[in-house]
Amino acid sequence: MLCISLCAQAAISQTLTGSVIDNTGEPLIGATVLESGTQNGTITDVEGKFSLELSSPQSMLQISFTGFESKLVKPNFKSIMRIEMTESSESLNDVVVTGSSTFMDDLEAKHVEVISSAELTKAACCNLSESFETNASVDVSYTDAVSGAKTIQMLGLDGRYVQTNRENIPHIRGLISRYGMGYVPGTWLQSIDVGKGAGTVVNGYESMTGQLNVELKKPENSEKLYLNGYVNSFGRAEVNANHATDLNDKWSTALLLHSNYLGTEIDGNDDDFMDLPKSRQINFMNRYKYMGDRIRSQIGLQVMHDDKAGGQLGFGFGDDFKTSPMYGFSNQTTRVELFGKTGVLFPNKPYQGWGFMYSGAYTDIDAGFGRDDYSGQEKTIYGNAIYQNIIGNSFHQYKAGVSMLYDDFNEVYVDSAFARTEIVPGAFFEYSFLPGDNFSLIAGGRADFHNLYGTFLTPRLHTRYQLTEHTAVRLAIGRGYRVGNPLVENINALVSNRQFMVTEELNPEISWNMGGSVTTKLDVGDRHINLIGDYFYTTFENQLIYDMDQNSHRVTIYNLDGQSYAHSFQIEAKYQLNEFFGLKSAYKYYDVRTTIDGQLRHVPYISKNRLFLNASYSTKYDKWKADATLQWFGSKRLPNTSDKPTEFQLGSRTKDFLLLNTQVSRGFRWGSIYLGSENLLNFTQSNPIVDAENPFGNEFDASMIWAPITGRMIYVGFRYKIER
Amino acid sequence: MKIQTITTIISLFIGLTTYAQQEPEKVDKGYKVEIKTSAVCEMCKEAIESDLVFEKGVKDVNLDVDSKMLTVVYNEKKTDPQTIRKRVSKVGYHADDVKRDPIAYENLPLCCKDGAHSEDHH
Repeated sequence: MLCISLCAQAAISQTLTGSVIDNTGEPLIGATVLESGTQNGTITDVEGKFSLELSSPQSMLQISFTGFESKLVKPNFKSIMRIEMTESSESLNDVVVTGSSTFMDDLEAKHVEVISSAELTKAACCNLSESFETNASVDVSYTDAVSGAKTIQMLGLDGRYVQTNRENIPHIRGLISRYGMGYVPGTWLQSIDVGKGAGTVVNGYESMTGQLNVELKKPENSEKLYLNGYVNSFGRAEVNANHATDLNDKWSTALLLHSNYLGTEIDGNDDDFMDLPKSRQINFMNRYKYMGDRIRSQIGLQVMHDDKAGGQLGFGFGDDFKTSPMYGFSNQTTRVELFGKTGVLFPNKPYQGWGFMYSGAYTDIDAGFGRDDYSGQEKTIYGNAIYQNIIGNSFHQYKAGVSMLYDDFNEVYVDSAFARTEIVPGAFFEYSFLPGDNFSLIAGGRADFHNLYGTFLTPRLHTRYQLTEHTAVRLAIGRGYRVGNPLVENINALVSNRQFMVTEELNPEISWNMGGSVTTKLDVGDRHINLIGDYFYTTFENQLIYDMDQNSHRVTIYNLDGQSYAHSFQIEAKYQLNEFFGLKSAYKYYDVRTTIDGQLRHVPYISKNRLFLNASYSTKYDKWKADATLQWFGSKRLPNTSDKPTEFQLGSRTKDFLLLNTQVSRGFRWGSIYLGSENLLNFTQSNPIVDAENPFGNEFDASMIWAPITGRMIYVGFRYKIER
Repeated sequence: MKIQTITTIISLFIGLTTYAQQEPEKVDKGYKVEIKTSAVCEMCKEAIESDLVFEKGVKDVNLDVDSKMLTVVYNEKKTDPQTIRKRVSKVGYHADDVKRDPIAYENLPLCCKDGAHSEDHH
């Protein structure tokens, strides 16, 4: 715990003096002390002492040191400050400053935004895919008109190019790459880091356009009890319960529970198809943390079962889609995962440490799409060992390590079976040059030896340069790889009568991503506008083309033959008008093209232009909170349907549309109640399903989704908390 | 007013810890009262403010750590200064002449307790 002393006798001056210590009172040498939001800062000397003249007495102090949690502290001019740092609860985690609800770490070389728990409560429902509603960098869209699943996009490209980690362990990938966001309950989330562009090499070769890191509620600091109940106008109900407690002075545990149920049939567009499937899910996690003097360890177990039944009205849980008179969609997914981390610290050398993280997961999917059945099993074992140290002094830091991935896939679709086992040992080295507050550079590389696809070489480079007091520039370049899973990645096309055609041996996807961002602050009175502009360019050496243009009765799958690229440009402005009101706005421009069927074309379902507006209001300690997000999506290209009968042809482009989400919440000592709406303007795609009347016919297609299928939804809920 | 000032001076003079309570004052949104607390740090400020803000009838709270004065704006039809002082006591702090609740005080974090900041007076 950090406390600043108050000593009324000392004289007031603009110069701060103090020392930075660890929790045993040992001085921390080379810790960064920065006047927050400026480049005015210093580094602690060999006795851990610092002296700093502030440009404004209202500024906050930002203190950071590798291996410790960064702190924002009010300056105290009246006495010598003693700032006690807490060792990072996640040993070897990247340093993250906590404070405002969405923010960027000023000193971080990578372009990373953090969505905090305060921001996450603005999206009350229901899982990870809804957590980006108030974030401009991640786009969320429906995959198809039947499964109800949502998927993300970043930099104008499919979510499969984003590496989604859970506490730095790769998580949403393989067979759950499409539906996996729905398996991470919203009430389990503590924060999400959104990294744009190529990520760190420490976590593997898969982050091609970005990296999400999801932090869940922790055993050592979460509420003793957290209860959440939620119900919405579609009839979906959710019950969530978290419990965390100290077992003794070293061990703590947390129990996270989630269940949801939707039994009603929603058909707002009268096409006799459910707009959302019926669903029920039980999700359970128990995790333990050990905090010793030198060893930090945690281990957790998650068990999840999710059951969905959708398609034509009347199709229910457990019905046999093969014999049902209705077109049925069913999906039963069970997943068990054991995961953990162990870190070894050196008490007098907080910059030095060993870390080992691991996970083992088994996923089983049984699904049906009309008369077609799909089943998939995946067994994954992952391990990553990291050593961190400095070279000479803390200006030069490095991480080095080895990793291992074992991934065994077994899939059957109708009468075809696909099986593969990936064994990928790898090694990495990442060097950070942190000479001061004005410049930092991270250079990393890794080599992975894939048993099926040979060697993957992944170089990455990130740099940050402080141009002026308020302006920082970040540049990054990096290569990325991934091995595709064509069936699950085209699961939307399974709810159509398209035939799957794989025309050649498929290779891994390889991309280069380069770009950068400029962040700056403009003074407006005594407040300021935060501006972030970024541009990223992604180009593919190889890509799997899921071609829906060549023939509207097929999905043709092949390797890229020609160009494929994405230009992404975003400008975002944030302005806190006063203590209560905040505004956020963003404009995004995407030019995403790929060679489909021998011709360079715009990628379907991507809006070239988008606008994002968010207004928030909150009173002290969130007694009252209100939030509204308005998004405008420009026109998108649709896949070619000119070979269909005239009545089933779609245009070549969609219209543009607006989405509005709102929420109001009232806080109490015990928690809060909230009321909100999604899609308040009630915009839906008309006729989302092609030839819905004839689902077993040739023209049926529920995969061509470019806007919400469900209309306005109202929800209410409560959160009840007992603090530790 | 004069008598109160004199009492204050005398009590200060003879070293008593009793403190003269201030009278509520009419402001825009209701009444404002200032309460002397035993808060010593930013964490105490947060503990008191984050509790009092949810107290029935309370419209605004602000604690100045340097002077230890808690300023509360309240709706006089829903609460009164004494109820507010009792609530501060329940959080674990003295409020004018209302002594802190001993159990709540025991549960405060270490840095909010008596003497927690004396080591810094060098």
